Amino acid sequence: MRRAGYRRAVPARERDEIVHRRGRGEGGLLIRRPARYSALGLLARGLTGRPWPRLWAQHELRRSYDVVIVGGGVHGLACAYYLAKEHGITNVAVVDKGWLGGGGSGRNTAILRSNYLTPEGIRFYDRSLQLYRAMSGELNFNVMFSQRGHLTLAHSDAALRTMRWRAEVNVLQGVSSCVVDADQVKALVPSLDVSPHTAHPIVGALYHPPGGTIRHDAVVWGYGRAAAALGVELHQQTEVGDIVVEGGDGPGGKGPGGRVTGVRTSRGDISAPVVVNCAAGWASTVAELAGVTLPITTTPLQAAVTEPVKVFLPAVVVSGSLHVYVSQTDRGELVFGAAVDPVATYSTRGSLEFVEGLASNIVQLMPGVARLRLLRQWAGLCDMTPDYSPVMGVTSVDGFFVDVGWGTYGFKAGPVSGEQMAACIATGRTPALIAPFDLARFTEDRLVGEKGAAAVGH
Amino acid sequence: MTTRRLPGAGAELNRDEPFTFCWNGAPVAGFSGDTVVSALLAGGHDVISRSMKYHRPRGVLTADYWDPNCMVQVGSEPNVRGAHRLAAPAMDVRAQNVWPSLRHDVKAANALVGRFLTAGFYYKTFMQPRALWPAYEHVLATFAPGGSVDLDAEPPRCDIRFAHPDVLVAGGGPAGMAAALAASRAGADVLLVDHGHRLGGHLRWGSGDDRARAAQLAAAVRAAGVEVLTDATVLGRYDGSWVGINQRTASGVWERLVKARAKCLVVAPGLIERPYVFAGNDHVGVMLSGAVRRLLNMYGVVPGERAVVFSANPDGAAAARDLRSAGVEVTVVDASTGVRLERVEGSRRRAQAAVLSDGRRLDADLIVTAIGWTAPTTLTNMAGDRPVYDEVSARFFPDRLPPDVLVAGGLAGDGSVDELVAHAHATGAMAARRGLTVRAQLRRATPRADPTVTSVPPDADEPVPLGRDPHPALFMAGSHGIVDYSEDVSSKDIVDAAAEGFDSVELVKRFTTSTMGPSQGKLETVNTVAVLAQELGTTIGRLGTTVWRPPYAPVSLGALAGRNDIPRRVSALQDWHDKHGAVPLHAGNWLRPDHYGDPAAEAANVRNAVGVIDVTPLGKLDLCGPDVADLLELVYVNRWRKLAVGAVRYGVMCTEDGIVMDDGVTARLADQRYLMTTTSSGAAAVWEWLERWLQQERPQWDVRVTPVTPAYTSINVAGPRSRELVAGLVDDIDVSPDGFPYMQVRTGTVAGVGDCVLLRIGFTGELSYELHVPAGFGLHVWEALLATGAALGIRPFGVEAQRILRLEKGHFIVGQDTDGLTRAASAGLGGLVKLDKADMVGRPELGWAAARTDLPMLVSILTDDPSVVPVEAAQIVEPGTNAIRGRITSSRMSPTLGRSVCLGQVDAALAHPGCALTIRLPGGAQVGARVHDQPAFVDPEGVRLRG
Amino acid sequence: MLLVVCPHCGPRDAGDFHYLGATSPRPDPATVTEQAWRTYLHLRANVGGWQHETWYCRACRQHVVLERNTLTNEFRDPPVDPLGGVR
Repeated sequence: MRRAGYRRAVPARERDEIVHRRGRGEGGLLIRRPARYSALGLLARGLTGRPWPRLWAQHELRRSYDVVIVGGGVHGLACAYYLAKEHGITNVAVVDKGWLGGGGSGRNTAILRSNYLTPEGIRFYDRSLQLYRAMSGELNFNVMFSQRGHLTLAHSDAALRTMRWRAEVNVLQGVSSCVVDADQVKALVPSLDVSPHTAHPIVGALYHPPGGTIRHDAVVWGYGRAAAALGVELHQQTEVGDIVVEGGDGPGGKGPGGRVTGVRTSRGDISAPVVVNCAAGWASTVAELAGVTLPITTTPLQAAVTEPVKVFLPAVVVSGSLHVYVSQTDRGELVFGAAVDPVATYSTRGSLEFVEGLASNIVQLMPGVARLRLLRQWAGLCDMTPDYSPVMGVTSVDGFFVDVGWGTYGFKAGPVSGEQMAACIATGRTPALIAPFDLARFTEDRLVGEKGAAAVGH
Repeated sequence: MTTRRLPGAGAELNRDEPFTFCWNGAPVAGFSGDTVVSALLAGGHDVISRSMKYHRPRGVLTADYWDPNCMVQVGSEPNVRGAHRLAAPAMDVRAQNVWPSLRHDVKAANALVGRFLTAGFYYKTFMQPRALWPAYEHVLATFAPGGSVDLDAEPPRCDIRFAHPDVLVAGGGPAGMAAALAASRAGADVLLVDHGHRLGGHLRWGSGDDRARAAQLAAAVRAAGVEVLTDATVLGRYDGSWVGINQRTASGVWERLVKARAKCLVVAPGLIERPYVFAGNDHVGVMLSGAVRRLLNMYGVVPGERAVVFSANPDGAAAARDLRSAGVEVTVVDASTGVRLERVEGSRRRAQAAVLSDGRRLDADLIVTAIGWTAPTTLTNMAGDRPVYDEVSARFFPDRLPPDVLVAGGLAGDGSVDELVAHAHATGAMAARRGLTVRAQLRRATPRADPTVTSVPPDADEPVPLGRDPHPALFMAGSHGIVDYSEDVSSKDIVDAAAEGFDSVELVKRFTTSTMGPSQGKLETVNTVAVLAQELGTTIGRLGTTVWRPPYAPVSLGALAGRNDIPRRVSALQDWHDKHGAVPLHAGNWLRPDHYGDPAAEAANVRNAVGVIDVTPLGKLDLCGPDVADLLELVYVNRWRKLAVGAVRYGVMCTEDGIVMDDGVTARLADQRYLMTTTSSGAAAVWEWLERWLQQERPQWDVRVTPVTPAYTSINVAGPRSRELVAGLVDDIDVSPDGFPYMQVRTGTVAGVGDCVLLRIGFTGELSYELHVPAGFGLHVWEALLATGAALGIRPFGVEAQRILRLEKGHFIVGQDTDGLTRAASAGLGGLVKLDKADMVGRPELGWAAARTDLPMLVSILTDDPSVVPVEAAQIVEPGTNAIRGRITSSRMSPTLGRSVCLGQVDAALAHPGCALTIRLPGGAQVGARVHDQPAFVDPEGVRLRG
Repeated sequence: MLLVVCPHCGPRDAGDFHYLGATSPRPDPATVTEQAWRTYLHLRANVGGWQHETWYCRACRQHVVLERNTLTNEFRDPPVDPLGGVR
C-alpha cells in the first residue's frame, strides 16, 4: 500500500499517559503508552483510589484513514495492532457496528490448540499459539492463557486412526501431540466414563498438551488497548453501509478490476485506499459491498455454560464423533460447544435441540454431571468454507483485503491472522504462512485438506 | 436474635407432618411444605452462604427461586435453590463454597484487601513472571463458587415428553390462571406451567383474601380441564414457537423435559422484585418486601425483631403491615417523602441499623426494601422483541411481539387483581382464537388430513390494555453497594469499569461479570444498566438492556438428556454373535462382530477352507424402473448401459467436485430391477443422493429407490470351499463355475429360504458368494451354513479378518484409504472413469483431474523389513528433511504371506512400482519400504477370485 | 425447532428434514469453464434475507424448494403458511 507520509497526532487524553514524543518521519509520531498494569499499580491505585485510565479513547470519525478495518473483533484489532506496531501504519480506523468483541470473539468457547491435520494448518495455528503464549507480557494485559492440555476423544478405530494421523503430522511440524489409550485418558480426566460398555466407548484420544483455554474478552481488550495506544482509532457503533469501489467490472464499478476508495458508514463517509474485511459472520455481506463473492455459508455455532461448581475438569475435552467439547473455566462453569447448526441462518437465537443434544452427549461422557444445571446458551455466526480453512489476503478488488471464512476456529487464529494480514497489507506481498489460504484456490483447485479432521474441530 | 415460627401462620405448611433434616451435619426441624431455607430461618440459621469473592456472610434476600444467597448443596446435587427446594426428611443439606465452615471461612480475609480486588483486577496482574501464571491460576480457581459435582453418583432417571397444546401459558399467577381458564373455555387445549410448587403467583404470599382468590382460580382452572405443571419452568420459546419446559417435580422420574409446539404462547411470569443498591445491602437481615411476605405468610417465619421498611410502593406497605401483625416493631421510610435509605450498618453476623438520607440512624435487625420490579423478558426476547424502558413506571415492557405471543399480568401492565384477571381473561380468549386458528391452518397444510377442523371461536374485542402505574425510579442510593450478589460485583466496580472505557452494557457485563451468575440477571440486569446510565450521564432507556438469553431458569443436563438411550443397529444374527464370543465393534450406528477370538486364524481359514461373515450393515438399495441404467451411468463414474441381466459390476461414485464418495457393486436382477450395494456408513447418504439426482436433475426418469438394508441379512461365504458349501444348500441355482461365474448374480432358494439374492463377488480376494437372505430367515440360513460347512472346516470371521483379507488383495476402503480430497484417479480408479459419457456427477472435475499428473496416488506398499507393521497414519517422509510425502492408510500383518502389507497415499512422484519410500514410525524410527508392483499382494491375477 | 411445511406431508419438525442450502443451477457439464463450474461448486451468495433453498423431507423422500428468510427463519409462501392467517 501507499505509506502515509505523515502521521497525525492523536489528541492527548490524560497527561500521565503521555510518556514521550519521538521524532519519526514528517510530523513525528506521538507514542502514548497507557498506564502500565502491574500488581504494584493495583496496590497504588487501591490505596489512592485513583481510577485507571480508559483502555481506548473515543474519537470523532475522520474523513480519511490509510486503512479501514471492518470488524472490531480479535482479528480486526490484532490486524490494527500489528499494522501500527510492526509496520508503523497508525492512521487506521477499526469500525464495528456493535461493541468491541461482540461477534465471534465474544461468543466462542475460548479454546486454543494447534493440532490441526495439514502442515499448512499446523504451522499457521502454532504461530498463533506462540503469539498467545507471549501475549500477556506483550500487551501488558493478562489474557489468562491456561495451557491445561487438550484431549480429542476417539470412539472408534477409524477415529483413532485420524487422531494418529494428526499426531504424526503435528510431531513432524514440531507440535506436541500424541495418541493416548483409554486408561491414560482416565488418568488425565477422571470424570470421563471410559468403560467399554457405553454407547460410544472411549478407545483413546489425541492428547495435545499445549492446548488450553484463554479469556477471550481479555484478548479483545488487550489488543484494543494496545492498538489504541499506538494511535489506532476504535469506532464502535459504526456500521459500514457501503464500500466505495471504482473501475470494477461489476455493477456500480464494483467487483473484479476495481479499486477501493473508501467506505460509507452510519457515522459518515471515509476515504481510504485500503479496506480490510474482518467481519466474521457477515463476511459475505461486507464483501458483496465491494462486489466480491466468497465461498462462504454463514451458519450458527451454539455454545452453553453451566452454573459454576468446584473445579474438577483439568483439561479441554473434545469428542469429534459426538460433536461436543467441554472445558471448565477458572470460575467453575463448564463451557460447552458443538458442531455448527444443520441449517444456515444469520439468526443467533439458538435452539432447544442444541442443548438437548449437548446434554445427551456430555452425560454419556461424564455421567456425574447430570445434576449440574445449564445456565445460559447462545449462538455465534460462523462463516463456513468448503475446505474448513479460511480465506485471507488480496481479492480481485485492489485495496480490498479479506480475513474471513473462519468457520469454527477464528478465535484460535486471531493473533497470527492479525500479524500476517498486517504484513500482507503493509508490504503488498502475501506472506508464506497465509499463501495457502488465498481466495483464488477455490477456482484453481487448490483446496486445503483440513476437512478430514474438522467434523468438530475444537 | 433468632428468627422464629409464628404460631398458626404459614399457608404452605402442614404442621401435622414435622420432620428433621441435616444442615452442615446438624439436625434442623421443618414441616411438610417448608423450603430448605424457611426451615433454616425458623431454626435460627440466618447465614445461608458466603459471597463469591469476599466470602461475606449472606442470608435471605428474596426467599424465592432467584435468591442468590440461598444456593446450597443437597446430597450429590450442587447449586440447589434453597429458598425454592422443598425440605424433606433426612435431606443432607450443606453450605457451598465455604472453608473450613460456614461460620469461620478463611477467605473472608479477602474483604480486607477488597479495595485492590477491583473488577477485572486479574487482567492487570499475575503477568510476570510468565512461568508463575499456572500457580496464580490455580489459586484463582479455588475461588470458583458453587457446589460440587459428585462424579460417582448414579445419573438420575429423566424423561422427555411431547405436549400439543393450542395455548401454552407460562406463569400460574392470577393472570396466567385467568388466561388459561378463558382459553380453555373458548375451546382450546391449554397447558399452564408455573415455576412455583403451587398455582397462585404473588397471591400466595399475599393476604388471606389473596390466597382465597388464588385457590378459587386454581380450582376453576383444574375444573376447566387445563393441564397444570407446577415446579416447572418454561425454559425458552425458540423459533417456530417451539417451547421447552423443565418439570422439576414429575412422577416416576427425577426431572422431565416437556417439549411443545405452542400454537399460541401467553407469557405471564409476573414481575421480579428488584434489590436496591446501597452500602451494606448484602448484610444478613437486608431483604426485599417479597421475601418478608413469603417468609411470614407462606412459612410462618418471622425474619426479624425490629424492622425498617423503605417503601416506594404498596408491596412495601403490605410487608410493613404483615410484619406489624407478626409483632415486629416497624419503622416505615416512605420513598414518596423524598427520604432515602442511605446505607445499612451491621456486624459480621447481621444488620444493626439503617442510616437515612436525612441523617437518621434507625436501629434494626431487618431492613426491608420495596423499590420496584424487573420485568423478566426472556421469553418475549426470544420471540424477537427488544423491550422498551418506560420512564413513568420505571421498568421495561415488551414492545413488538409476533401474533402467537401474548403477554398478561405484570409484564403487560399494572392493576388490581381484578383488573389483571380481566385483562388476562380477554388475553386468554384471544390466545385461544389464535391457537385454534393455527391448529386449523396446520391441519389444512397437511395433505390428506381430515378436512373437518376444529371450529375457531368468533372474533372478540382485543383486551383493553392495562394501565401503567407511575413508580419512582429507585435504583441506587448515594452510596455504593452490591449490584450482583452472586458475583460480588458492586456499583463501584461498574463505575470504575465505565471509566476504563467499558461504556456499553454488554462490555461492562463482560468486564465486571455482573449479571453472569446463576440468577442470570433477573435481579441484577436493570440495576447494572441504571448504575451505568447514571455514570455515563444517559438514561436507562437510551442504554437499553442486555439480551436475556435462555434458559429462563437453569435446567439440569440430566433433564435435557432425557432417557439418553442410544439406539444401536444390529443384524438378525447379533444374538448368535454374542453367544459365540464375538468381540463387538462399534461402526457408526451398527454393532458388529470384530472377531471371535483370533482374527488372523479366521483370515487364514478363509484362505484355506471357508468362512462366513455377517455383512448385514452393507447398504442395499432396490432400484426399479425403466431408467435405472441411466441413473447408474449418471451417479457412477463407469459405464452401466450394457450390464446384462444376471451380471454384477463394481462402481465408484464421486461428488460434483470429483471426490470419491462411495463404492459398491450393483447387480441387475431383472430387466428393470437392480440391487445396489453401498458402504455401510454411506447407505443413507447414497439413498438421498440418488433421490436428489432423480428429483432435481432428471425428474423425467422413472426410477423407484427403496432402501432394503435391514430387509436382508447379508452373509458373505468366502474361501476355496465356498462353492461346495453353497452348492449343498441351494437346489434351484447352478453354482458350477460356468453356471454362476464371477461377477454374476442369481436369485433362488438357500437352505429352503426363497427370494435370496446371491452375488459372486470377492472383497476378500477369495471365491465367494454374498448371500442376501430375507432377514426373518437370516439366522436359519447362517446356522445352516455353519452346520453344512462343518465338514468343510467352516468358521465365522469378523470385520478384522475381513480387513486383513481385503488388504492382502489390495482393495481399498472409502474413507480410510481415501479422504476428503481424494479424486477417483488418486484412488487408482483412473481407468474406471469414462469421460466420454455425456454427463455424470462430477464429470468436469474428473476430466480436469485426469489431465493432472501431480495428484497423490493410492499405492500398495511393502516394508523392507517384513516384520514391521507401520501403524496406520504413519507418515511417509523425505529422509533427512522429514518433509511429508504421504501416509500409510492401511496396514496389517498378512497371515497368508507371513509379512506386513500396506496401502498408502503418496505424492505423484513416488507413485511408481519399486519406488523406495521412508516411513516414519511414531516415536521417530524410520523404516524403508517400496511401492509394490501390483495393487494386490495375494493372488494378483485373481485366479482364486474367479475360480 | 423450526416448523417446515412439506407440500407432501404437511408441517413437520425441521429435524425430519435434511437442509441442503440455497439452490444453485447446475451448469452444462459439457460446455462449462473451470471458473463457472467452481463458482457453482464453491461460491455462495450467502444471502441475508429471502432465499430459495432445498430441503429433503425424510418422511416422503422428496426434495422440496422453499423460500426462507435467513435473518428471521420465516418461510414465505409455503402451500399454506401455518401462522399466516394471524400475521
